[in-house]
Amino acid sequence: MGSVVGDPIKFVLNWGRRYSLWVFNFGLACCAIEFIATSMGRHDFMRLGVIPFAHGPRQADLMVVSGTVTDKMAPAVKRLYDQMPEPKYVISFGACSNCGGPYWDSYSVTKGVDQLIPVDVYIPGCPPRPEALLHGIMKLQDKIAGEQSGLGGVNRTDVKALTAPPVRRP
Amino acid sequence: MELPGKGLVKGLAVTLGTLTQRTGTQQYPDVEPDLPPRTRGVIALIEENCTVCMLCARECPDWCIYIDSHKEEVVVPGAARARQRNVLDRFAIDFSLCMYCGICIEVCPFDALHWTPEFEYAEHDIRDLLHEKDRLEEWVATVPAPPAHDHRGEPAKEQTAAAKRSGQSAV
Repeated sequence: MGSVVGDPIKFVLNWGRRYSLWVFNFGLACCAIEFIATSMGRHDFMRLGVIPFAHGPRQADLMVVSGTVTDKMAPAVKRLYDQMPEPKYVISFGACSNCGGPYWDSYSVTKGVDQLIPVDVYIPGCPPRPEALLHGIMKLQDKIAGEQSGLGGVNRTDVKALTAPPVRRP
Repeated sequence: MELPGKGLVKGLAVTLGTLTQRTGTQQYPDVEPDLPPRTRGVIALIEENCTVCMLCARECPDWCIYIDSHKEEVVVPGAARARQRNVLDRFAIDFSLCMYCGICIEVCPFDALHWTPEFEYAEHDIRDLLHEKDRLEEWVATVPAPPAHDHRGEPAKEQTAAAKRSGQSAV
């Protein structure tokens, strides 16, 4: 696709995508408070081109999953991710959405949101600092800048491969 | 009878008042953030201090510390028998799982683990959040100096003990 579009246009497209990330906050627990703190005046991630509070998933480019994803919530996370238009990005914010965090042994908690949807950036912390989210956003912007995306969306890993059992039979 | 629009003027007066104040926005990527003291960012490991006592791995509420070790015989000249020593093979902390409670740092009897305020280690792949020994040692350079004692607070126990031994009164 890159050869069809050409590098200058690809650069412009990626540049536009980097700095207008309409974010959709999937706040599920205490990490959401840190996300809100980042969106407020003191940290203000609008400086980085992240526009908070998209009206819904259909208007959003970036989903920030902040908090404990439970198995009951998992279908909703998946559905709202599927509703988002391409190109779409996911940031996993905090220990719980990275891999279950303190609840990794719980019966009802999904062990990481990456079991449901592909994640672009994992931010560690419990909860992470607002600056850590800003750092994760910059890391995502670097990734978007280097993307081989054309007009028709981005190449992604197969979600089914992500949900494959981590231990394979010998 | 209230004047019409009085509430509006009141609200705008507050807006005007805050408009003239300085903004509190931190320019993070350009300016270093002023983090509070004792910020819990990431855990650093000083390998020489670790005796593989496994206290941190056992006390960790998340079980996110992985330790492997083996025993080594050290022949001390003049001693009746060879001594044994624990050698650390692997020390890893899974920061995707860590809940930053600091219990491992509290229980470490030889101060091998330290908090550092660094927070910039978000990753594209979750497997990179498992920091092995060499990565944990890289964080040591960012460990801040211990905070000073409180002004007019009581002196440290070590100071008092040393002063007692040398026969002087504590500072």
